[in-house]
Amino acid sequence: MKLTDRQAFEQYAERVSSDWAKLHDGSSWVFRVPIGEWSKSKGALATFDYLRLLLEESGLTYTLKRVGSGGWNWADPSVVVQGPNHPSILYANVTADRVPDLIASLKAGKPHEELAVGTFADTPVGNIQPIAEHPFFAGQKKFLTADWGVIDPESIADYIARGGYGALKKELFEMTPDEVIEEMKTASVRGRGGAGFPAGIKWESARRSRAEPKFIAINSHEGEPNVYKDRQLIESNPHLVLEGILIACYAVGSNRGYNYVGGEHVLALERFRKAVAQAEEWGLIGENVLGSGFDVEVRARAGGGAYICGEGSALMYSVMGERGQPRTKPPRSVEEGLWRRPTMLNNTESIANAPLVIKNGGEWYASLGTEKSKGTKLFTFQGPLKRLGVVEMEMGVNLRHLIFDVYGGMKDGYTFKGVQTGGVSAGALREDQIDHPVDFDSLTSLGAMLGSGGFVVFDDTVCSVGFARYLMAFNRYESCSKCTPCRLGNPALTEILDRIRHGSARSADLQLIERTSKHVIELSLCGLGQVAPMPVLGMMRAFPEEWRQHVEDGVCAAGDCPMHARALMATAADG
Amino acid sequence: MAQEVHVSESDLERVRELLRTNYKPRDYEEAQELILGACQDVQHLIGWVSPEAAKIIGEHLGVTENRIFGLLTFYADFRTQPPGNHFMLLCHGTACFVAGSQKLIDELQDRYGIAGDETTADGELTVQVVNGCLGVCELAPVVQVDHHDYFGNLDIARFNEAIAEIIRRGPAEGHHEAH
Repeated sequence: MKLTDRQAFEQYAERVSSDWAKLHDGSSWVFRVPIGEWSKSKGALATFDYLRLLLEESGLTYTLKRVGSGGWNWADPSVVVQGPNHPSILYANVTADRVPDLIASLKAGKPHEELAVGTFADTPVGNIQPIAEHPFFAGQKKFLTADWGVIDPESIADYIARGGYGALKKELFEMTPDEVIEEMKTASVRGRGGAGFPAGIKWESARRSRAEPKFIAINSHEGEPNVYKDRQLIESNPHLVLEGILIACYAVGSNRGYNYVGGEHVLALERFRKAVAQAEEWGLIGENVLGSGFDVEVRARAGGGAYICGEGSALMYSVMGERGQPRTKPPRSVEEGLWRRPTMLNNTESIANAPLVIKNGGEWYASLGTEKSKGTKLFTFQGPLKRLGVVEMEMGVNLRHLIFDVYGGMKDGYTFKGVQTGGVSAGALREDQIDHPVDFDSLTSLGAMLGSGGFVVFDDTVCSVGFARYLMAFNRYESCSKCTPCRLGNPALTEILDRIRHGSARSADLQLIERTSKHVIELSLCGLGQVAPMPVLGMMRAFPEEWRQHVEDGVCAAGDCPMHARALMATAADG
Repeated sequence: MAQEVHVSESDLERVRELLRTNYKPRDYEEAQELILGACQDVQHLIGWVSPEAAKIIGEHLGVTENRIFGLLTFYADFRTQPPGNHFMLLCHGTACFVAGSQKLIDELQDRYGIAGDETTADGELTVQVVNGCLGVCELAPVVQVDHHDYFGNLDIARFNEAIAEIIRRGPAEGHHEAH
């Protein structure tokens, strides 16, 4: 199915769109089962198989689709059902054993109210309320995630039916590269990997570079613990990321895009590779794309499980089959990156915004979010919360609202103590600090950070010293060992934290932490070392009394540190 | 020193076949870009990257074994020792940490005598502690066994039950396959 020119694409798009509309006109049943790494871990494949079996026997006229995760991971394994006189309804926790019950209910002509989360229709269906009123969905602005849980991520036809590759077509035939870059600058998309650097400016400097060839590289490594939004973005809609890469290639004048995906994200890598193969087959990648004269290739590359490879220069080395150890800058990778050619590096989520910007315009994008942080942001919250998953909210959303409304607050029996921000690279916040908008700049005054949008909520059984030690040890383990401050400073800090946890620290150790941290932060070669001690400093700032108690009183209030066990044993011996 | 283990000739032939089919670099630059992916795929196929397998990858892509071992020892995903009958990924991401994954790691040491990335003396179980994240945080603390099964919301008792259960199943045929 090679689409050789603009007209062929438009005809094809029209055909698949009308097929799509026909499928959803309410004349037959449509069942969707979100399949992603998360839902698989909760048995979604078994649900899918059983559903297929029972539907075959049911006598219903139906289509059963595998779709990407919808972001409502807490509700998985889930099924979205639409049918005659049955508006689209999301059913949660449909484990295989509940499938017969669901089918029986549908055959009897009524929605299954107990399993239903809500309806995608605007009005209630019996007792089932519109999903837009459910706290998890209410505040969401679904653009990046619009097709999550809707389309089959392994079908390019589904993507095109929903308007996919329309932005690429618009760009190729109606816009000059400079106009594209102008839109990106108007939109002021800021880098979603954590640094928040304006993508438009990055694109412009890559465009200006005269050295040919030049490359685009996308960072889908996401080695940070507890962040999985890029992985889920690729799993649920790989073509959106791919279209963004193609748009960027055209805009900056590159004929080759790379996507570097963490090797542990097996399903994401598989789906992205499939997307590339399909786009090649459809003529959207290759020579003379749609007859526009634009040549492009896209290469998917697997990582090897090293967090450091999220750093720009380390990523480049890793793609080139070397150890991922950062180098000094300049030259920046936009001057000298892959194979010593200019290489523009973007985060997955940033690049996925490009098709939206081109389609709807930079002004539209800039109307979302706050003054300095535009657009929407994908968030992942973890910890003992009632609901977990990926949400897409406008920048500037209130942190308390996210935790206690969207994610449902703490699970029963857990008491909120704090929230770790910025993955492993920033500080934690206490409950009295979370009435705060979340965007690139607002949290920094508190020593916290948006980072890549990963937050971990923890309860009062977690000791802030122990947690700091965990975060420190993560960075120590992931240090590439190239530069001395990071290689030696992080183990030294871990040792001090261990002293505190074992009750053998002196109060001078707290100052020693500050001093050593300063050295590591100021002297390390790359971003990993430069932020490695931040979580420790953040925990000390957020819970100073707890740290003082550890050092001066020998007490771990959370009862988590080794000193606590020793104290208990001593008490038992005395008694 | 661990005793030397060899991969069967038929497994090595599967490795060669995999490389011939899926790895066709057009130039030396692309060949180098493919090293990590090839190592990943080979590990999925035979469970680890043995010296013989590394040699085959090197010959196929035109790079030295040294270069490949430099990568295998840098990147955490790779194993240069054969895994036991069962392979477990123990997630130690932040969400698992706050839910108690450290206790599971301690239990591994105390009860089974292994640290992360080691194999039990009876050869039944290899555990790799994942410093990153399995990305299924709702099940925290969670382990993934033989690439397919998840055991979640573990405390020490359930963790031990899970291990007993997977050992009881006996070695799964072709359990190294990722899918």
